[in-house]
Formats: sequence, structure tokens, C-alpha cells
Amino acid sequence: MKYLSEYRDPVLARSLVDRILGTATRPRVLMEVCGGQTHTIVRQGLQELLKDAVDMIHGPGCPVCVTPLEQIDRALHLASRPEVIFASFGDMLRVPGSDADLLQIRARGGEVRVVYSPLDALEIARAHPDREVVFFAVGFETTAPANAMSVWRARELGVTNFSVLVSHVTVPPAIRAILDAPDNRVEAFLAAGHVCTVMGWREYEPLADEYTVPIVVTGFEPVDILEGIYMAVRQLEEGRAEVENQYARSVRRSGNEPAQELVARVFQLVDRAWRGIGEIPSSGLGLREEFSQFDAEKKFDLGSIRTSEPEECMAGDVLRGRIKPFECPEFGVACTPERPLGAPMVSSEGACAAYYNYARFQPEEAGEPA
Amino acid sequence: MCLGIPGKLTEMYGSEGLQMGMVDFGGVRREVCLAYVADEVKTGDYVIVHVGFAISKVDEEEARRTFKLLEEISELDELEWMKEVAEKSLSGLESDRDPSRDASGTSDIPRPEGQS
Repeated sequence: MKYLSEYRDPVLARSLVDRILGTATRPRVLMEVCGGQTHTIVRQGLQELLKDAVDMIHGPGCPVCVTPLEQIDRALHLASRPEVIFASFGDMLRVPGSDADLLQIRARGGEVRVVYSPLDALEIARAHPDREVVFFAVGFETTAPANAMSVWRARELGVTNFSVLVSHVTVPPAIRAILDAPDNRVEAFLAAGHVCTVMGWREYEPLADEYTVPIVVTGFEPVDILEGIYMAVRQLEEGRAEVENQYARSVRRSGNEPAQELVARVFQLVDRAWRGIGEIPSSGLGLREEFSQFDAEKKFDLGSIRTSEPEECMAGDVLRGRIKPFECPEFGVACTPERPLGAPMVSSEGACAAYYNYARFQPEEAGEPA
Repeated sequence: MCLGIPGKLTEMYGSEGLQMGMVDFGGVRREVCLAYVADEVKTGDYVIVHVGFAISKVDEEEARRTFKLLEEISELDELEWMKEVAEKSLSGLESDRDPSRDASGTSDIPRPEGQS
């Protein structure tokens, strides 16, 4: 067992598809929250296999995509400053700001470095005591423990030239916002397996109850996703609305408690604006007051940078599951990965990028997946 | 961004008070922070790694159980299919078939016997 290849078995996938098709008595609408799952669904052509039995709507679970333009502009400003080394996950580099992206800032002489782990950014700070190192701390709950640790360690090791530009968001308030929308069509959710690996699923139980909506914690391989869909469809057909766990090999009900503990010590709940969705109360994480010396927004006084979202990009409708990427008139025309209008076209988890790379055309034109 | 990759823990050590380790991802080895799983892992375990941090130990028992369950589904599907073919060819001879055979498949993993 390597816990990977088994979950890509085409025979298993086929029989799960048959089972889903045999179970759904009418077309069902499901949302997968996580952008990683969106990519598996589109790349493997799972939607085509599911035919009309299940319509998979793609959710807002791409942290790069929901980071507001304003925060990108602040990152660009920091990266342009001569004393700053700006460290970021690779995903953020091509996200368009108002007039550039981080790659272009690098071409203009800004020092932008891609890091694999937030601890790498801290090491850069320790190696360059004469420079200010700013790490772009984006992500959902999965990434929060890693980012929290970088701040915690900075304080522990007395590193003063390190700070973080925080744009953390959390999943449950977004699910609530989607369910509260008057035009919501989503009947059941696949919850994100790695977010729940950290957080567990206790906070999803009140959601399932309150909205009578099945929620299945699901993994990322094709077989995982098909089993998650099967479990959700079965709940709908049986009139149940519970939280179930498909991804039991990684997720426990209470999650990873040491990780939650450190996140709670470093971060606190704050209101956050989501790109294309707007402000959602208590939907994000910000640094606690006692860590404010590591807060890049305070250290560099970024409050004056205010930007509003561009109008031509329909990312908000895509992120809320209102339209599929190919329904945007600019998709593949004015908006491509080379010249993106919005983040979902460049992020490795963005829904627009998934459709552009794996399913350029509308499903009925795409033919049989290879 | 929430990508998590399973790998095998090959080495554990402390670094300036932080629990670290080496993880083998199918031949590629990387240093990983173990602070959040240190109490439950030992070398040889599989862990799921996200941005340089192990966020969980892969529960082998669960992985095996889920996979076996899934495998049974696909084997049983074949059995069901064979059974259906057999029943169809016999249907001319049999007058009263059990109606519960036509259940819409909402049940759990079907057993080859006892369902009908």
C-alpha cells in the first residue's frame, strides 16, 4: 500500500460511477468545496461519466482565487520595496494585481522568492539580517498551522526582520454564505479532506443540521471523490443530512489538535473580504495583538492601499458556483493563463484554469475523455 | 494549495528544539516538520505532508479497510451482473420472481446472497 495508486484504480472508479448512476433517482446538484478536487474532477472527466445524474458545482476552495485584489496590490507594493525580500508560495506569482503580478515585479528588480514551506521564508530572514523578509501567508485551515508555526518560531528564535502579510480564510463561513444565497442550488457538499484533517468535522455538524444538507468529508483521488459523491447521493436519496467521512485514512472527527492549538495561539478570527464574494463576517484569520510585530500590514503601514475589484472578470460568479467557467464570455478569449483577468485562471486550483487546461470546450463538445 | 502528499517517514530528529524528519515521496526525499504529529508517528509510518508540515499520520487500518470495501463493491458488481444474466436467461422458466430484486440500489454494499 502506498495510499495513492490504489485510489486511482479505473475499475473501482467505473463501478462507483455505475453505483451513483443507479442510486440517483433524479439529477442532483453537489458542490466540491476544494479547488484540488475541482482539478481531479475536470482532469479525469468525472463530470462526463456522471452524465446528468450529478451536476458538480465548483466551490470557492482556492485560497489564491479568493484573495482580494487589494491584498495582491499590497503584496506587489511590498515586493517592490528595495529593502524587502518577498517570499511566497509559487501559486501567487502569476495572480494579476491592478497593474502587475509578482513575476513582473521580479523582472523589474524586486526580490521575490518562491518557498515550499513557510519555515523556508524564516530561514531566508535569518540568512539576511540586513533585509526585511515578508512572507505572503495565504491559505485555508490546512495551511494555517504551517504559517502559524513560522510566526511562532520567529518569536522563539528572536528573528525581528521577518513578517507576514496575512490573507487567511476558513471554509465553514463560506459554506454558510453559499447556502444562504437566495439562488442556491447546492443540495450536498463534499468537504475538503485536508482542511478537515486539521480541523476535524465537528464544526460541520451544526451546518448539516441547520440546513438539512449532507456533507461528506472527501479525499482527492478519483476513487475518493467518486465514493464521496456516492455517499452524498445516497444520503439525499435516503433523506438523511449528516456529516460522513470518506477520507478516514487521514481525517479524525476532532482533527489535528496540536495544530489547532498553535493556530489559536497565533491567529484570531477576523472578518475577511473574499474576492468576488465580498466580506464574510468571522471568515478569516488575522494575527493576534501579541504577534503584531510580525504583521506586515502594521510594520509597513499598508492601510492606505485600497483597490476595488475589476468588473469584466466573473470570478465571483464562478467561485460561488453560479456559472461554469466556460459560461464567462471572456473565458479563453480575453482571459487565458498567459493574460488572465482573474486568479481562477492562473491558480493551480482555479476552476477556470482546470477547464482551460483539461476541458477547453463545453462538455457536449469535448467528446469522450481520453 | 491544500495539496497533501502521502510519504514514508524515514528519519526523525530535533532541530533547534523543533521536531523534524525526512520523508520519502516515492524516491524523492524532503525535510518535513513533524511538530503536529510527533506524538503519534514513528519511522516507517506514512504521513500526509502539506507545505513542509506533516498534518496527519495515514491510518493504515482505515486505508486498508476503505480500499477493501471499495474492491468488494467492484467484485460484487461483477457477481451481480453475472447473476442478472443468469436470472434473465431463466426468467422464461420462472413465473414469480422476488420483487425486492428490483430495489433501486440505495442499499449498502449488496451481498451476493441474502439480498433477494
